[in-house]
This record gives sequence, structure tokens and C-alpha cells, in this order.
Amino acid sequence: MSETKLTTKRVLLVEDNEMNRDMLSRRLARRGFEVGIAVDGRSGVDMALTGEFDVVLMDMNLPEVDGWEATRLIRAGEKSERKRVAIIALTAHAMQGDREKALAAGCDEYDTKPVDFERLLGKITAVLAAAP
Amino acid sequence: MSGRTSAVGELRHTFRTPVNHIVGYTEMLLEDLPAGDEDHRAPLKAILDAAHDALAHISAVLVPSEVPATDAVRRLYAELEEPQARIIRAVTSLMSAHDLGETATDDLRRILHAAEQLRPKVLDADLTAPPVEEVEATDEQNRPARILVVDDVEDNRQLLRRRLEKQGYEVLTAEDGKQALAMVEQNAPDLLLLDIMMPELDGFAVLERLKGNKSTRDIPVIVISALDDVESAVRCIEQGAEDFLSKPFDPVLLKARVGSSLAKKRARDRERAYLQAAEAVASAAVAVEAGTYRAGALASVSRRSDAVGRLARVFDAMASNIRAREQQLHERVRALKVDIAKAREAGPGAPAAVPLPQTGERVGGRYEILATLGRGGMGAVFRAHDFELGEEIALKTLRKESIGDAAVIERFKSEIRLARRITHRNVVRTHDLGEWEGGYFLTMELVEGITVRELIDTRGKLSVESVLAIGTQLADALAAAHAEGVIHRDVKPHNLLLDAEGVLKVMDFGVARLSERGGAGITEVGLVVGTPAYMPPEQLLGEEVDVRADLYSAGVVLFEAVTGRLPFVAASPMALIARLLQEEAPRARALNPDVPEGLDALLAQLLSKRREERLGSAGEMRDRLAGLA
Repeated sequence: MSETKLTTKRVLLVEDNEMNRDMLSRRLARRGFEVGIAVDGRSGVDMALTGEFDVVLMDMNLPEVDGWEATRLIRAGEKSERKRVAIIALTAHAMQGDREKALAAGCDEYDTKPVDFERLLGKITAVLAAAP
Repeated sequence: MSGRTSAVGELRHTFRTPVNHIVGYTEMLLEDLPAGDEDHRAPLKAILDAAHDALAHISAVLVPSEVPATDAVRRLYAELEEPQARIIRAVTSLMSAHDLGETATDDLRRILHAAEQLRPKVLDADLTAPPVEEVEATDEQNRPARILVVDDVEDNRQLLRRRLEKQGYEVLTAEDGKQALAMVEQNAPDLLLLDIMMPELDGFAVLERLKGNKSTRDIPVIVISALDDVESAVRCIEQGAEDFLSKPFDPVLLKARVGSSLAKKRARDRERAYLQAAEAVASAAVAVEAGTYRAGALASVSRRSDAVGRLARVFDAMASNIRAREQQLHERVRALKVDIAKAREAGPGAPAAVPLPQTGERVGGRYEILATLGRGGMGAVFRAHDFELGEEIALKTLRKESIGDAAVIERFKSEIRLARRITHRNVVRTHDLGEWEGGYFLTMELVEGITVRELIDTRGKLSVESVLAIGTQLADALAAAHAEGVIHRDVKPHNLLLDAEGVLKVMDFGVARLSERGGAGITEVGLVVGTPAYMPPEQLLGEEVDVRADLYSAGVVLFEAVTGRLPFVAASPMALIARLLQEEAPRARALNPDVPEGLDALLAQLLSKRREERLGSAGEMRDRLAGLA
């Protein structure tokens, strides 16, 4: 495993709902993550592309630039770089085929809301472990 | 995704988001609990269970890519009521425990907020009207009437039983008084046919006991007796019997009397249920006042198809709104209190040089001046002791030069009489009007606090939350005054007091009448007392004003509070008035990007030059403010 494993993992939370942001960021922080917050898709893309985050939790249902579009923009922006940030899609709709659609759009994992926190944590750990 | 299934997605999202919040915050609170703290764990678990139940209901009805029937959504709405009530109950019990930290209390408040969203308001219009049940149509009321026949003679009992059963009634029999009382207790009959002449406990004694007991006194009794003297009949009726038949009875007459007694009883039962329902609504009103009402408490009454049911439904919806609003105001006032505390540290404003009563001086024979509280354009305010009532009050002197002609004074006095009628927590109560050294003084409720003027002067622009707290309370006060027919005419930061709890009190209702001149306005600019900055164009022009003048002034106050400056500024009063009449106010958001769009739009509307373009009432202003997240 690489040396970055020893440092605190940084999570970027892209979420427009204030209560969801407050809740998830606090819960992640108390589990030892450093949490960055973006309140819309556009700033989510900008922050994700700074390269400072290990994983992005992307709410897919955002106004204007939605999670699908933001994910595509992040992947497009990363093309030239080697470092690829892990993205976990979060959706409340849980439509059939959403998971496949999320993976196709460039996400690494997919989870549904309401968030089962332990399950989400498991997925975060899994995508981090899979990262190069 | 087709349009229809994506609409289902939206619906799922709307329903599931609050559950998401409830589960998340509750799990966090559970994680924080020290091991063994079962007192708090149990209600938190209850919240979690209820949230999972709610989720199960939602998932069952709102299946991905399936458009649910309207009925199903309506049912879901009703099904969520029960878990919602459980959550609110558990949160309320936790919040009343008082031993939680501030963070935990905040999180509980968030859970409460989310619980209130559990049956989303957007759907109210088409879904809350519950499937109306006919009150009369319940099983209990559809069963055949149950009649208890009490007679010591076997043949009589059997005869009555056969006749009554043929008519479709359910018949029970008792062979003596004691047995009859026991069966009444157990079987709750709808009617008694009672013989008088029985050994031991006779019919009179049975009647007396039945009518003496609250739970049985409403059961109708028809006495059937061989005693055919008028005296016995009268005695039975006096003791509460519904009717009297003498043996041998005419079967047709019996049938008619039984039918009529039962019909009367059904009517009484309905009436009683109605009264009970009305009582439930009344006690819910008491609970709302005490702050203990929980949503859905009137569920059973709400299902009635009559006026009380409708009242209960409307009431429940209103109570939920009030609760949400109080919660919101509470949050906002917290921010305001911080501002007040900081401004107080900064100290009071500067004194003015006007001849005024001195400390220790008696005014109007009844009031002793104790201290100066503040000075303003029209006079000064003192803390004074009222010897007649033996309590401290605020006394405001109104300077001679601010007083107009006799007609104005008459109008002023009648306005003060009107203002005295306003009773509201956000309005300073006016007590008494008196004369002092050729001028007037007013006494009023003493409020220890600082004015919004001082708050803005020491703090600069206030936080959006603080401004919303001020605005909501100001709108409430104006709504109460307008309801009494009083227009303030001089709403400005000097007239708005804030006590240490963040409660806003509007003072000087009616006082502005004193400075009016007939036809005063822009043609007699020198006569405009104080600054015109808060006055709407129609008032500056000396036109008749209505409630919308106060709304404009309130808009200026809120604009100033949230931006730290007035919408119009100029080097001279004349230039200012010209701007006030001609220029559009700037947008608050352009001056302070923190101002949310909704508030920005509201302020722009309140500051409209044409009153037709403002809001129509203070109540509307309050609703708009409450609607700002």
C-alpha cells in the first residue's frame, strides 16, 4: 500500500441540502476523516480537481450542474493527470439501473439515501483501498 | 427516465429526505450516548424505529419506476401520521429533559423539524383531506339495538323477548333488580324494559341506582308495570324513566315507544360524541397555548365528517404551522440575543439638552421620576414610580413644540384611546395620558432593553437571522395593532425596543398623530418632525395613510438593519425627500450579498413607491418572513 494510507483521508462532500451536509460532514469528521464541502455541482468539480481529496461523495440530485454532469466534468478534467479521485454517487431515487448508470458515468461506487452510515463507510473504505 | 417515473423519483425524494435526516441525526445522538444511559437511549431508539417504519411505508407505496395511484399516496400520507407522532413525542420528551448539551438540543430540533416535514406540506392541498368516515356508520352503531328486559315473571320475560326479537332487536333478560344492575354494567344495553313489582330490589330502586350513576344514567328506561295508577307513573317519570306502560300492554304501543326511545338515545349519543369531539379540540387549543400540542393529537376527531371534524383538521394544520413558526422564531431570536448582548457591552448613546423633569420630581401628581431612559426627537423617556399602582412604569414626555392645534390634539387623544386596546406581547402597553407643564406625557409598560436604533448604531448591519427575528415580531405587532384599527405612522428603529430575551416591543402607537398638521407634507417641509427617512411617499405628501404605510416603514427598518444603511441618503432633508419620492430603492442584496433572495425581494416589495405594489397586510408580511428558510 502506498504511503498516503498513513495520512488522514480527505472526503469531499458535494451536497446542496444543508441538513445532509451538516449531518454527513459531522459523522465523517468524528470517524477521523477530513471533510471538504461543496454546495453545488460547479464548485464540487472545481474542488475535486484540486487533487486534495481522496474520495468524493456526490449527491446526484443537485440543481443546475447535477451530480451526473459534475462527475463527467471531473473525469474529463482528470484525463491528463494520473491521480484519479474516487467518486461515490449518492441518490435518493434508487431507480433500477441507477447503479449501472453511475458506474458508466465514471463513479466508482454507488449508494442510496437515506444513508446507512455504516454501509457508506464500508464503501468509502473499499474505494480507498482499491485506489492506486 | 420518462417524465412520469421521474416525477415518482421526485416524490420519493421529497418523502425520503426527512427520514434520512431523522435517521442520521438520531444515530449520531446514539453514538454520543455514554454506555448505560438507558433514559436517553430508549426514546432515541423509538425515534429510529418510527423512522424505519415510516421508510417501510414510503418504500411500499413509492416503488421505483412505478407510478402510484393517488389513493395509495393518500394512504401513505395517513400512514405516516402515526410514526410522525411517535417521533415528535419522543423528541419532545427528550427536549423537556433539559439535561442535554446544546449540540444535542440543536440536533433534536433538527429531528423535530424533519419530522414535521415527514408529511410534506406541498402535498397538503390534495392529500391531507383524509378519507372522510361517516360517524354514524361504524360497526358499533350498525348493530341491532340491545334491550334488557327486567321482570321477575318468566312468562312475561319470554313474551317480551319473542316480540322484540321479531322486530330485530337483541334481547337480554334479567329476573330481578340485582341481576339487572349487573347486566347493565356488563352488557351496556341501549334500553331497559323494567318491571316495578319485584321482590327485594324493586323497579323504583333499580331506576334510582341507574339514574344516580353517571355511566348508566343516559340509558333510557321504559317502565312496564301492573301498577296502573297515575301516582306510580308520575313517580317513575320523576325518577328519570323515559316512558310508562301499564300491563297488559298493547304490542303496537310497545313497538312505537321502544322505537322512539331508541331514536332519542341515538340522538343523545351523537350529541355526546359531538361534545366530546368539541372538547378535544378545545383542550388541544389549551395545549397549543401551553406549547405541549403534538401534531396528529386530533386524529380521531379529524375523521368526523361534520363541522367539528373539519375544525379539527384545520386546527391541526394550523397548530403544526404555529409550532414550526415558533421553532423558527426561536432559532432566529438566538442570533438576535447575541447581537443585543454585544451592543449592551458597547454602552448607551449620548444625552440631549432639553428642559425635562428631574430625577425625584413628581409628574401629574402620581408619578415620581426615578431615572432617564432615553431622549428622542419628541421628548424623553423616564423610569418612574406610579404611586397609585405601586409599580414602576415608563413615562414619556412629549415636547410642547411638537404639539399641534386643538383638532390634532383631539385626534391624538382618540388615537391613544384606541392604542390602549392593543394587547400583544410585541407591543408596549399604553397606560395613561396626562398633562405636564403645558405639554403631554404618556405612561406605559416599562421594558428594560435597547432600541433597534442603538443596536444598529453599535453593531452596524445585523445578521440575517437577527433581522428576520426583528421582522417577524414587528409584523406580528403591526398585525395586532391594525386589527384594532390603529396605524402606527412612525415605525422606526427608535420605536422598537428589544429586551434581553430578544423579544421585540413596538412603542408609541398613536403618538405620531400628535405631530400631524392639517394637510402637512412636502409643502410644509419644516413641519415634518424628525427624519422622513422611514416615511412612505404618500405620508410625505400628506395623503391619508393606511396600514401599508407601516409596512413601508417596516421595510425601511429591516433594510437598514440588514445592510447597515438607509435605502436613501442625502445631504439635506429637502434632497432626501426628493429622492424618497423619485428614486427606486437599491436592492438590499446588492449592498449585502448575505441577504437571501427571498428577503431581498420582500424588502423591494415593501419599499414600493406605490402602496398598491406593497403587501396587503402585516399578516402577509409575517407569512412571507416565516417562509424564508
